[in-house]
Amino acid sequence: MATDRKAQVTWEGDLMSGKGRIETVTSGAVGGLDVSWAARTEEPGDMTSPEELIAAAHASCFSMAFSSGLAKAGHSPERLQTSATVTFQPGEGITKVGLEVVGRVPGMDEAQFEQLAEEAKENCPVSKALAGVPEIDLTARLDH
Amino acid sequence: MPRVQREAKVTWDGNLARGRGSITAGTGAFDDLTYSLATRVEQSAGKTSPEELLAAAHAACYAMSLAGELTIAGSAPEHLDVTATVTLDEVEDGSHRIVASDVVARARVPGIDESELQRVADTANRGCTFSALINASGRVTVHATLEGGTDGH
Repeated sequence: MATDRKAQVTWEGDLMSGKGRIETVTSGAVGGLDVSWAARTEEPGDMTSPEELIAAAHASCFSMAFSSGLAKAGHSPERLQTSATVTFQPGEGITKVGLEVVGRVPGMDEAQFEQLAEEAKENCPVSKALAGVPEIDLTARLDH
Repeated sequence: MPRVQREAKVTWDGNLARGRGSITAGTGAFDDLTYSLATRVEQSAGKTSPEELLAAAHAACYAMSLAGELTIAGSAPEHLDVTATVTLDEVEDGSHRIVASDVVARARVPGIDESELQRVADTANRGCTFSALINASGRVTVHATLEGGTDGH
């Protein structure tokens, strides 16, 4: 079954001096998030940006896929802590995503943990949507 | 222009079916957004999802791209209203894929006609970094109308 998720954004003015706002999303979980070109490409302050949202999407998607792979291998995680860092080069696009995951997984060895993390990185839907990004790095380690 | 980095962190507890996660933005613009498999693929029940965050990213990316291209074309927009709808679907092998992002833009722009808007809207789509990425694995559609134009409302 297909699932749709929608977001609504308004923008006023030109790119350089104008401003935008992520007004609403399907779930209502976020809203009223301001965005601007300056905050996207210079110091963000407390403003989000497309790249930060993509980082959040990738980290959340990867974590779910990894929890699934670990459970299928007989080792449900107690906790996974994942960060995603998206690198944006204005005029060029997104050049890199760096994923880092630290897991607390009873009975798991480091090699298998890394192998399953790699599989989650390859197969999660957001990774596939970002397949055109030149470099997607992964660092995975167990929290002993 | 120097490169820009943005980060987000996620904590996931438990397995896929019964576990849950929490999402926090590096800037603090949003934090502790909880999500789960059920809220991702069934009713959202007030919870965000990876696809919803991508929809927000795409709508914001496209709005900036369109504002930039309109300005280059000589008509900075007074107001743009952009939505993006991201579709996650099950594909033949049983896995899930992001199959589409559909963008709808309504533009209030002085001194521009409908055909010029269409041309600029297409250019903005090619210039939006995220449109290009999604197009590589799925489908991006853009439907742009002028507010008060022949196809507007």
